[in-house]
Amino acid sequence: MTLVDSTQQLLEAAMRGSWQRQTAITNNIANADTPGYQPQEVSFESALQNAVSTGESPEEMQFQTETKAAEAGPNGTGVSIDQESAKLAENGLDYQALTQVVGARNDIIRSALGAAPS
Amino acid sequence: MGLFDAIGIAGTGLTAERVRMDVTAENLANADTTKAANGQPYQRQEVVLQQLGSSDFGGALSSAIHQSSGVQTPGGVEVAGIVSDSTPDQQVYDPGSPEANAKGYVKMPNISTVTEMTDLISESQSYQSDVTAMQTAKSMFTSTLGLLK
Repeated sequence: MTLVDSTQQLLEAAMRGSWQRQTAITNNIANADTPGYQPQEVSFESALQNAVSTGESPEEMQFQTETKAAEAGPNGTGVSIDQESAKLAENGLDYQALTQVVGARNDIIRSALGAAPS
Repeated sequence: MGLFDAIGIAGTGLTAERVRMDVTAENLANADTTKAANGQPYQRQEVVLQQLGSSDFGGALSSAIHQSSGVQTPGGVEVAGIVSDSTPDQQVYDPGSPEANAKGYVKMPNISTVTEMTDLISESQSYQSDVTAMQTAKSMFTSTLGLLK
């Protein structure tokens, strides 16, 4: 087993995906009043699942930001501000959870190396 | 994709909403202005927003590659322009006014205070949403930094 195993690589890839999703959600919120704007989304989970089943390395994986066709509301955009706010909160918590897990795994490695866990 | 993209995008949203609030304030302040610069009653102003593509090289390249799928790298929002609302002026009966015409009517600006106030509420809430998005990005960034401890 290497020091940086595939789980750690997956966690890092998920953090990148979550960060990219954060950018997309922020863009949707910024454009919540732009006429004709179509919301964007990043679905990195399915790509990661594929990588796990095919044994592909997630390390250099790139995720796509896709435009989601949504019907324009009364203000002329396809953005639902409530949905985007909910997704923003969810994604923020997801990211925190990922960093906690990465931190815990780092602590394990650190204690194996003989240093006191932070 | 840069680390601070989300914060920058939220920033463009803050700027755009602030311009909208400025224009709404201008409309409210001029709700009774019967003589604007051109001598006519003040005309209601409206902000037009447009989506902004990514400004850096990587973002522009990625947008060009994925052009066929219609995906644009997130870059935020910008004010495309401030346009005049072409709704006709209101006619108010006020024969005592020095501005009144032969029939006693005064041409007043095409502004409804109620519309402006509801616009103001929606603009300030959009501003809040952008602030929240910025704060979430910031706390995500802080938790990444926590890994280095």
